[in-house]
Amino acid sequence: MGKKQKQKIILPPELPPEILEDEIEVSDEDLQFVSENRDYAGFVSRLDTHSITKHVTRVADVKEDDLEALYEKRLRKTSVLKENEDKGLQLDPVDALPVKTLDGKLYYRTRPKPENGGDENEVGEGEKDGGGNEGIIKLTKAERRAKLKKSKKEAKKEGKKLSKPEEAEQAPQVAVLAEVKEDLTAEELFESKKCKLAELGMALLADPESNIKSLKEMLQIARDDNPSISKLGFLSLLAVFKDIIPGYRIRLPTEKELEMKVSKEVKKMRFYESTLLSAYKAYLQKLIASEKQPVFHQVVVRCICNLLDAVPHFNCCEILLEVVVRNLGSQDVVVRKLCCATIKSLFTNEGKHGGVATVEAVRLIANHVKVKNCQLHPDFVEVFMSLSFDEDLQRREVPDDKSKVKNKKNNKRKSIEEPSQLQQNERKKNKKELMLKTREEVAAEYKAASLAPDVMEKRRMQTETISAVFETYFRILKHTMMFTAVSSEANASSIGGASGAHPLLAPCLKGLGKFSHLIDLDYIGDLMNYLKRLAGGGSSNDGPSQKNSNHLTVTERLRCCIVAFRVMRNNLDALNVDLQDFFVQLYNLILEYRPGRDQGEVLAEALKIMLCDDRQHDMQKAAAFVKRLATFSLSIGSAESMAALVTLKNLLQKNIKCRNLLENDAGGGSVSGSISIYQPYAMDPNLSGALASVLWEINLLSKHYHPSISTAASSIAGMNSAHNQVYHAILSPQQAFMDLLLERESFNSKSDTQKSSSRRKRGNGTSILANTELSSNMSGSIDENEVSKKLGDHFMLLRNIKENERLRDELDRATLSLHLYDEYKQQKKTGSTKTKKCKKLLIA
Amino acid sequence: MGKLGKKARKFAKKNLQSVLKRKRKIKSTFKKKASKKDQRDAAENEEENAELSARRNSENGDIEDMSLEAIFSEDESDEDEGDVDVDDSGSDGYLSEDSNCLPIAESEIHLGENGAAGKPSAQNQEILLELENKKKKLSRLKAKDPGFSKFLESHDKGLKSFRNENAATLDEDERSDDGMQSMDEDGPHLYLNKLLTSSAINSWCHLVKEQHNASAFISLLNAYRAACHYGAESTGILGSGSGAPILDCETFCKILMFVLREADDVFREMLGISSNCKRDTILGLKNNSKWKTVRPLIKSYLRSTLFMLNQATDSEILAFSLNRLRTSIVFFAAFPLLIRRLIKIGVHLWATGEETVSFHSFLILQDVASGFSSDCFDLCLIKMYKAFIGHCKFAEPALFKHLQFLRNSFVELCSQDLLRSSNKAKVSINNLSRILQLGLQTKKKEAVKKICSWQYANCIDLWVTYISHCIHDYDLQPLLYIIIQIINGMATLFPGPRYLPLRRKCIEWLNHLSSSSGIFIPVTSLVLDVLEYKVSKEVGKPGKDFNFSSAVKLPKHWLKSRNFREDCVFSAIELLSAHFAQWSYHISFPELATIPLIHLRKFQEKSDVESLRRVVKRFIDVVEQNIEFVKKKRDEVAFSPNDQQSVEAFLQLEKCSGNTPFTQYYRSVMEKAASRSLIMNENKR
Repeated sequence: MGKKQKQKIILPPELPPEILEDEIEVSDEDLQFVSENRDYAGFVSRLDTHSITKHVTRVADVKEDDLEALYEKRLRKTSVLKENEDKGLQLDPVDALPVKTLDGKLYYRTRPKPENGGDENEVGEGEKDGGGNEGIIKLTKAERRAKLKKSKKEAKKEGKKLSKPEEAEQAPQVAVLAEVKEDLTAEELFESKKCKLAELGMALLADPESNIKSLKEMLQIARDDNPSISKLGFLSLLAVFKDIIPGYRIRLPTEKELEMKVSKEVKKMRFYESTLLSAYKAYLQKLIASEKQPVFHQVVVRCICNLLDAVPHFNCCEILLEVVVRNLGSQDVVVRKLCCATIKSLFTNEGKHGGVATVEAVRLIANHVKVKNCQLHPDFVEVFMSLSFDEDLQRREVPDDKSKVKNKKNNKRKSIEEPSQLQQNERKKNKKELMLKTREEVAAEYKAASLAPDVMEKRRMQTETISAVFETYFRILKHTMMFTAVSSEANASSIGGASGAHPLLAPCLKGLGKFSHLIDLDYIGDLMNYLKRLAGGGSSNDGPSQKNSNHLTVTERLRCCIVAFRVMRNNLDALNVDLQDFFVQLYNLILEYRPGRDQGEVLAEALKIMLCDDRQHDMQKAAAFVKRLATFSLSIGSAESMAALVTLKNLLQKNIKCRNLLENDAGGGSVSGSISIYQPYAMDPNLSGALASVLWEINLLSKHYHPSISTAASSIAGMNSAHNQVYHAILSPQQAFMDLLLERESFNSKSDTQKSSSRRKRGNGTSILANTELSSNMSGSIDENEVSKKLGDHFMLLRNIKENERLRDELDRATLSLHLYDEYKQQKKTGSTKTKKCKKLLIA
Repeated sequence: MGKLGKKARKFAKKNLQSVLKRKRKIKSTFKKKASKKDQRDAAENEEENAELSARRNSENGDIEDMSLEAIFSEDESDEDEGDVDVDDSGSDGYLSEDSNCLPIAESEIHLGENGAAGKPSAQNQEILLELENKKKKLSRLKAKDPGFSKFLESHDKGLKSFRNENAATLDEDERSDDGMQSMDEDGPHLYLNKLLTSSAINSWCHLVKEQHNASAFISLLNAYRAACHYGAESTGILGSGSGAPILDCETFCKILMFVLREADDVFREMLGISSNCKRDTILGLKNNSKWKTVRPLIKSYLRSTLFMLNQATDSEILAFSLNRLRTSIVFFAAFPLLIRRLIKIGVHLWATGEETVSFHSFLILQDVASGFSSDCFDLCLIKMYKAFIGHCKFAEPALFKHLQFLRNSFVELCSQDLLRSSNKAKVSINNLSRILQLGLQTKKKEAVKKICSWQYANCIDLWVTYISHCIHDYDLQPLLYIIIQIINGMATLFPGPRYLPLRRKCIEWLNHLSSSSGIFIPVTSLVLDVLEYKVSKEVGKPGKDFNFSSAVKLPKHWLKSRNFREDCVFSAIELLSAHFAQWSYHISFPELATIPLIHLRKFQEKSDVESLRRVVKRFIDVVEQNIEFVKKKRDEVAFSPNDQQSVEAFLQLEKCSGNTPFTQYYRSVMEKAASRSLIMNENKR
């Protein structure tokens, strides 16, 4: 259409050469297509409204489109005026300012900005159109905006050819931009780049294969000097990459492969992939380079996290991982949380990357812990908690895997290998019995049939992960121990909050507790030793230096005990480690416990795991704990008290003999052990001789202000050694603790409204005021003379005030009169002049 | 001036009514809003208290914008409205009541320089001087220019005519009023135009005393009224002349003293009732013909007295008049509006007055609360509580005693009707608990700040006193439980060493509650926290003396001083010994003391301050002694822990004699503590 031509002519002078270039190229490559476009220039311009499905039958479509075309033509005609303005606008790069004023009528400043941005757009668009010979005729701005999307679709239709011309365009385009730069304000530039970014991004999303080249363009923008533009560039690239990265890892063809002759399709594909990959790498490089700059830090980390989350399987994922792991311990809370979330999702969604990334991440974390000497943010290790290990896989791997690990790590233990393996086999059998057989079979068959090699690989990776995780854990434990040993000698009291000294200990213990079933049996002995020493507050083997206990908080030590029990419970059959020491620790830790400072939940958990869940206790020990818990609950808040009482009750229920504590047999009766007198200050529960004592605490506890505690105490008192009561499930210590927490307190009165009181409604005569000496000397008569004197004073005062008022009043009047005199004088004067005037007049 | 007064009055008459109406309207819209809120909150608010207006509940239920003052705050608007009502009707009734006096006011007696009073004050003399100067000047001008004097006269005339107009309208009003009040007319008119001289008063007094002359008494009451309003209304309603009839100090005193002293007797004489009659008798009198004649007199008397209470500032006068008013308090039964006013004044004086005044006003409040309807009781309670809250924001040592008095007297009042007061207490404590809950849950700064304040602490203190005072007479267990939880929450919310005073207070409360109610409240862990506060090592200079009782939070620099360390230890010992003292005869005392002893021993080993170690050592020794004592006794008994009764009886004999070492030790510790705080206070001064 002529119109289109016209527009081309009107376009800035810089453009024609490009167009020429385009046309040459296009006609070379797809002459037929172009000519087709020429024929239907007017109509094809409206093709954008079509859906892609109609793409195939384009020629036929055109006719259907007639109506719409006509409609738009009319619309265009109505907007001729505006178009003219647009044309004027298009000229403005040449002689920018005057035109702008012309255009901007009233909005000199505000209007040019978008217009120019649009202008730039338009230039690009126009070129694109030209390249494709689509013949889009300039529309009003609003229309154009609305059509942006459609143009993307169009571009898709145009196919790959378009990408090349566009690239070719790019250079001059930049040149144009540079030239015009002086004319455009920074904002305008920003706006234009933004639009450009959006456009390119949209194009890419719409048809990545054909527009893959524009990735480079976007990268160019991302490299911009302006940080905000770069940020935008990063983010839009992120969006693009997230979308277009394929679900597989790209392997670049070898040279041999390149030499081979391949079909066009494959070539195209190769080209696409290599471009994508190189762009991706460049992008990552840019990201990592700018990560260090504080301006970009958050944005970059966000990009990287997102990428890692979305495409962990893709090339270069190691680089991403490295950055994310490094930022796990970032000072910036936002960054830290983001990274944690990413790593966690990495761990939980292993399907995305087949576990490779997991291994890598865990290994990286382990390295970090090693390098930083355990002085890291707890989140670093906390993320391990979201790891999950396939139990079946694990179990299967055990036989062969174990030997591998052992060979690698500790050769000395070979001698133990055999028996332990035997045990392992036994364990395997046991577990098998527990499993549902049918399911087992089905799973085995399925695996054998389909995923056999994969399973091996998975197994290997999992082993690696596990070993890295435990390496980290053990490192932390070891470090903690070494640290306490060293620092206890150096300065005992400088450490304020012990949790600050061992930031990683808490998550480490948690993790050990969670994965205790995966711990290699060979390590368990060492682990238990460590834990024992930690629970004892550091280096208990260095002699009874009590000071060390300062370094680990009660909570941490309790956690150690808990972990030890967890580990033991999970590997119960395999080991026979004496847990006595932990009981001793708990026995003494109970005394150390302080609400507010220490975490009551942990205490409750320890009570639950160590006392409630354990098998039959030694009677002496159980009695000692019963006594200690009772004593403990006398001096502690209600929540902890309740947890202790629940445990106590549990112990009493399990150990019938201990109920002797509830009876006051002279001298402890027959059951009292070797120690005939109770020693409350003994450190060892077995040596306390608690069986000889009587639980008098219950009496005081039944007077407790908290109704639940007093009832619990009463019910304990009611327990009877004579006949074994039915074991009914009582709530766990943790539950009891949570129930009575102050934070949960509803502060509603517990007992309902008063049972209509038989009590007096009126208070008794004893007055609370009676003891104050006030009443005695005051209820007596008041000295009336004094009062009358005071009254006189009062009167005088009032009088004076009145006098004052009156005098002031008079004074005011007097002054007013004086003022009036002035007035009077003036009046007189005017009066006299007036009269004079009158006289004069009369005379005249 | 007078003009202004009249104008104001007129203006008030014409316009103020509408203003008041509008005000009321606004208030009612407020109320509507409140009730809307209430509907929203009603769901959460299950414990509908019969005593509480729904509005108050809404205020309490709204956890977001809660403050201590918010409680009963709806009552405040109520009260304001009530006041409006009172004033309203008061000003209506006021005129009719007053008409007797008005002629006095109008009879223009100029109290010139010849006034009988003593020397005018210096300022007055100054003004007088200036006035004279100006007058001289004026007269000179007048002499010089006769035209000016004419001009001036014409000007004055204009002024005067304007004033007369006003006066005329006023007179009309009065006349109509007079007509209404004709029954009183004859008496007053005899004397009204005269000056109230001392001799006249004397003769009236005589007449009243000897012959019970009603008319003399009426005029005396009018004089009394004038005296009470003396000075107060010069700028007010009646214009400058109103106080004029009372010329000298002697008369003034005489009138007031005589009426205050005798009025009650005279009234009783006239009505023929005994001096200790009840409210019902007064109400029963209502149809009596005698009552009809005496009623206005009583009303005038009470009203004037109340007015004077508002005016006077001297504590002796206030105390005396309060005391006298108290004897005739029963008459208030007939004037419910005056009761409200009385309560208001009483509460005000109770809260702000000095010792005697405060005490006397409390006696009045007590009489009102006990003698009249239950509504009065509630009103007194609420107003007093609010006044208390308003006054307990700061605690200087000087105020401390007064606050204590306020607290005790409030509790005393509460104990008169435990059912009602416990309801009030419940509302208030629930409010406190919600504030605490907010603090515990959100840990927001404002919320927490609200809790760590004197106001909050004093409120807790008040209710702790109340509960511990009344727990034996009434079932206050639920309240007891809640307040213990609140105190525990307070203690745990502020764990740091800077909050030592608060922590101390909390533990003291707990001990107090425990000892009064006989229940067991463990405080050991709270006390041990105090002992183990981590303080920076360098313990050098003794810091400035700092009064514990006057702060909830310690200044930071103070933590470094040696005093702080000492205070920690002493507090711990005192609190712990109070706790132990209560249970020192209990059968499980040895177990109770076990854990604290372990910690104290550890402390004793670690501590490097010799004096502190000695104190702790002494404590440990005494406790161990007591442990041995109880153990020995315990080994002798045959009953088991489940035999609660025998356990209760254990060592009760010894407890009554109270001569174990530990009891003695406890006494000495308390004495020392008292002397310590005394020294502290003195140092402060």
